[in-house]
Amino acid sequence: MSLEQAFRISSVLLAGVSFIALVLGTGLPAWLVFFTTVALLLAFVGAVGAMAGWSSVPQAARSTITWNVLVLAAFFGFVVDSLTSDELLYAGLRFLLVLMIMKLFHLRHRGDYLHLLAITVVMMLAAALGADLWYVPLVIAYFVLGVWTLFLYGMTRPLGTQPFSPVAMGPRQQTRYPSGLDHGGEKVTVRLLQVASGLALAVLGLTVLFFYMLPRLDTKHPRIDEGTVIRTAGFSQSVDLGALGPMKLDPRIVMRVELLDQASRERKGLYLRGMAFDHYDGRSWVNRLGRRWPIHQMPQRTFALQEQHGGEQMASEPFYRQRILLEPLDTPVLFGVPFIETVRGKLPAVQVDGGGSFYLSVPIAKPLEYTAVSRPTVVLPADLRPPSSPYHYHDAVLQYFTQVPPQSDRVAALARTVAQHARTPFEQARAVQDYLARHYRYSLELVGSEQTNPLEEFLFERKTGYCEHYATAMAIMLRTLGVPSRLATGFLATEWNEYGNYYVVRQRDAHAWVEIYLPHSGWIVMDPTPPADENVAPAEGLWLAWTKLMDHLQLRWNRVVVQYSAADQLAMVEGVQVNGAAISHKVRKSFQILLGTVAGVLEKSANLLGTATRDRAIAMGLTGLALLGLFLGIWLFRKQSQRTFLGRNAQGKYGDGSITWIYEEMLSYLSTQGLQKPTHIGPLQFSNIIRQQWTEASSVVEAITSLYCKERFGKVPLTLEEHHLAHQRLGELRNRTRFANQ
Amino acid sequence: MTSTEAIRSIQDNIARVIKGKPHAIELTLVCLLARGHLLLEDVPGVGKTTLAHSLARSLDCSFKRIQFTSDLLPSDIVGVSIFNRQKQAFEFVRGPIFANIVLADEINRTTPKTQSSLLEAMSEAQISVDNQTYPLSQPFMVIATQNPSEYHGTFPLPESQLDRFLMRLRIGYPAPDEERKILARTPSLRPAEELQPVVTAQEVLELQGQADQVFMDESLTDYILSLVQATRHTELLSLGVSPRGGLALSRAAKALALVRGRTYCLPDDIRELAPIVLSHRVMVARSQGFGLQNFGQAERIIQDIIDSVPVPV
Repeated sequence: MSLEQAFRISSVLLAGVSFIALVLGTGLPAWLVFFTTVALLLAFVGAVGAMAGWSSVPQAARSTITWNVLVLAAFFGFVVDSLTSDELLYAGLRFLLVLMIMKLFHLRHRGDYLHLLAITVVMMLAAALGADLWYVPLVIAYFVLGVWTLFLYGMTRPLGTQPFSPVAMGPRQQTRYPSGLDHGGEKVTVRLLQVASGLALAVLGLTVLFFYMLPRLDTKHPRIDEGTVIRTAGFSQSVDLGALGPMKLDPRIVMRVELLDQASRERKGLYLRGMAFDHYDGRSWVNRLGRRWPIHQMPQRTFALQEQHGGEQMASEPFYRQRILLEPLDTPVLFGVPFIETVRGKLPAVQVDGGGSFYLSVPIAKPLEYTAVSRPTVVLPADLRPPSSPYHYHDAVLQYFTQVPPQSDRVAALARTVAQHARTPFEQARAVQDYLARHYRYSLELVGSEQTNPLEEFLFERKTGYCEHYATAMAIMLRTLGVPSRLATGFLATEWNEYGNYYVVRQRDAHAWVEIYLPHSGWIVMDPTPPADENVAPAEGLWLAWTKLMDHLQLRWNRVVVQYSAADQLAMVEGVQVNGAAISHKVRKSFQILLGTVAGVLEKSANLLGTATRDRAIAMGLTGLALLGLFLGIWLFRKQSQRTFLGRNAQGKYGDGSITWIYEEMLSYLSTQGLQKPTHIGPLQFSNIIRQQWTEASSVVEAITSLYCKERFGKVPLTLEEHHLAHQRLGELRNRTRFANQ
Repeated sequence: MTSTEAIRSIQDNIARVIKGKPHAIELTLVCLLARGHLLLEDVPGVGKTTLAHSLARSLDCSFKRIQFTSDLLPSDIVGVSIFNRQKQAFEFVRGPIFANIVLADEINRTTPKTQSSLLEAMSEAQISVDNQTYPLSQPFMVIATQNPSEYHGTFPLPESQLDRFLMRLRIGYPAPDEERKILARTPSLRPAEELQPVVTAQEVLELQGQADQVFMDESLTDYILSLVQATRHTELLSLGVSPRGGLALSRAAKALALVRGRTYCLPDDIRELAPIVLSHRVMVARSQGFGLQNFGQAERIIQDIIDSVPVPV
């Protein structure tokens, strides 16, 4: 098998592999599958048959215009398809396949093979949307064939790029040709096939190995890089109400939270609890229960807080499993949906304090992934009924969680007024929550001086504050009513990434809320802070979709490559299929939004014109389109006719018809066919090379070369007939292509 | 008979004896038509002598062969004056140099003194003995041979003498098919003797005149110039090509164009001839290898230079 035949065959095989991947990966209409299969078979038979000197592929339409018109028609078909079927992605795939079928029938230039290669790359990428395990062998096959195709492409490119050692007509009496020159005699042997395929596979294996290993190699030096560790300006380990100032809206990402048991977002957002504070001294909250003690590690890197909950009770109650990728922070707190019971991950040690907060022993220096299992508390019916007798809390609870700062009489009075109709602690809490949410204004832009009593300032004077003011007010008000409560800090995640189904938590999502201890239910979460105006989700746009998609890819990279979890890798392969549908839905939606915007603008401008003129505008638009098409056609026709009827303007000066110009035109055309003339080669020698490389064209090339030599170097003026002859020959040459005719 | 036909008939005639070497025959003719001398450098037995002999036979020219040995004297080449008793005077007896085609076999085996006696003959086509100048017969061509594989007891040709050869050529072994034909041929002791002349010496002189008339475009002269300049400026050569070398290339290119039936030169002619015409006129720099006559290395360097100079378009 000669190199060029092998090149053609491997190109067609490459197209076949990507087509199989596409068929397996996405649903395609049967007629398209049928036509593509037929086209592939024909092309393959044609490529194989070329060995025997015949071609089965009909080369009926040879003119470039025909192909351009067909491509345009296919494009219009694609537009109509995408508008009617409402599936932009699949319409695009169908368009791609139609393009590939057309290319398969139009493999004439070397460039056409490259186009085919590009189409197959897009097809493989599209097939990845619905990838499953079958994708792996196809990718390997595609890789090997792709390497082969490019390899053969390079080997069949004979001149120009290779270092050229010319024919030595010297005393050695032997004719030396570079390897690429007489490749007509070179064959693809079994050994070459084995070596090249083996090399391709080895490279693939090495690449996978490198991608698998390198990110996981520890550098042995903990990164102490100030720039990468996020200062938790939003979340802090003590809550100080006294210092006022405009809060920063820091958009840096603190963590990403993936809910393992559900693929949809919470309506109100996800609370991610960090720490709880029990003691308020009138200005700031501190954690008196901050003494930590370690949790013993159980098998599978699990740290469970209460072993008794690990049994059947856990299965019966609703619980959350979250996978959290935590960015480097300057706090050792582990976040999670309240209330965390189990933490699992590659953690050196986990500690817990009296407030139920989880800690690492030291803050992390690089992204850390862990899974937290939480049990959100619900209010039990026992707490909704009015108690027959006042409930007596445990002494420890009363000691820590009903403490109030001195001089809080005014606050206590307000609390009594607000909750005068409430019969249960839960109703009291609801009453206070509603009161705060209704009568106070949320703002982050607080200006003011050092305050002596920030709580009273908020409740009675300013009536404007942010989450910490709300939460403190609620907690202290409830405490004056005898309801144990505490302040919890953490993040309220609202930003949902649809592409990866996870929450993105940013520094600016830092939040504070209240936890209330109910006699039967235990600690429950309540949040008096109303949704801020600033928290309104920005309008969905392409840019946002793009950033989300990128963030998703980043998470995937971190998860799949950096965080070393083989189980997760398998899960990802399974999940790709599910996610693929969602992604394609999102992409489609984005395009629809874009199209909708364009359509809206058009409609608006049409409305501006008025309904009377709208019809005229449409007519004008259609006329414009028709004119454009007409001009395009004329331009194409002129271009074609320039090539064919060049002989008409003979006898011109250099640049428009002289023999030197014709010769240079011939050289430039030959170089598009992969036959470039090196500058140090003489005209006769080059014509000899053409005879070996492209026998069909050699008579034409020799004729032009000899005329060129005669006038250029012999200074023999050419006759008019000779000029015409040269022009005709040039036209003949341009009607030939190097590959199709072999 | 046109010039093309004449040249063709000479080629065909020689090819009857020298099988499978049309290129060597063509270049020998080029050398003849450019009024040059030829240095054949090859191992024994590839047909150097036969080539020279059959060329002489085809041209209807006189042919002399001188076997160069270490004890050969200049007078053995140019001739000697002998006292004639009858005439009571010294009489010059002409040496073997007085022939149209002179084969100087194994020229590097003789002493420099004897070698240099060829100098005047080769460059001026005349010799001077005893203050008497004798013109040599025209056409005059020296075909010298030397064996590249043997160096013991040889005197390598001085640069000045090498410069006087138009080209240095290897014949090379014949291709296997051709060699089979040679072996299968009816053995003949002196195959060249059986050749019949196809052109006369006068016609050769006319052909030489036509070769001078071949047109060479200015751009090609510049091309030769840039090749020559390149050999002088490269670090790989300690001695570049002399102006005589450039002139030789120009003459050889014209002769080749004539042999190929053209009335004008092409860049291809120059490209093809440059390694043969130039490589024995340069000295390879010490950094590029030892040996005074490192011809193979010189050829490679010249070839590289040719490949680096763009041809005129």
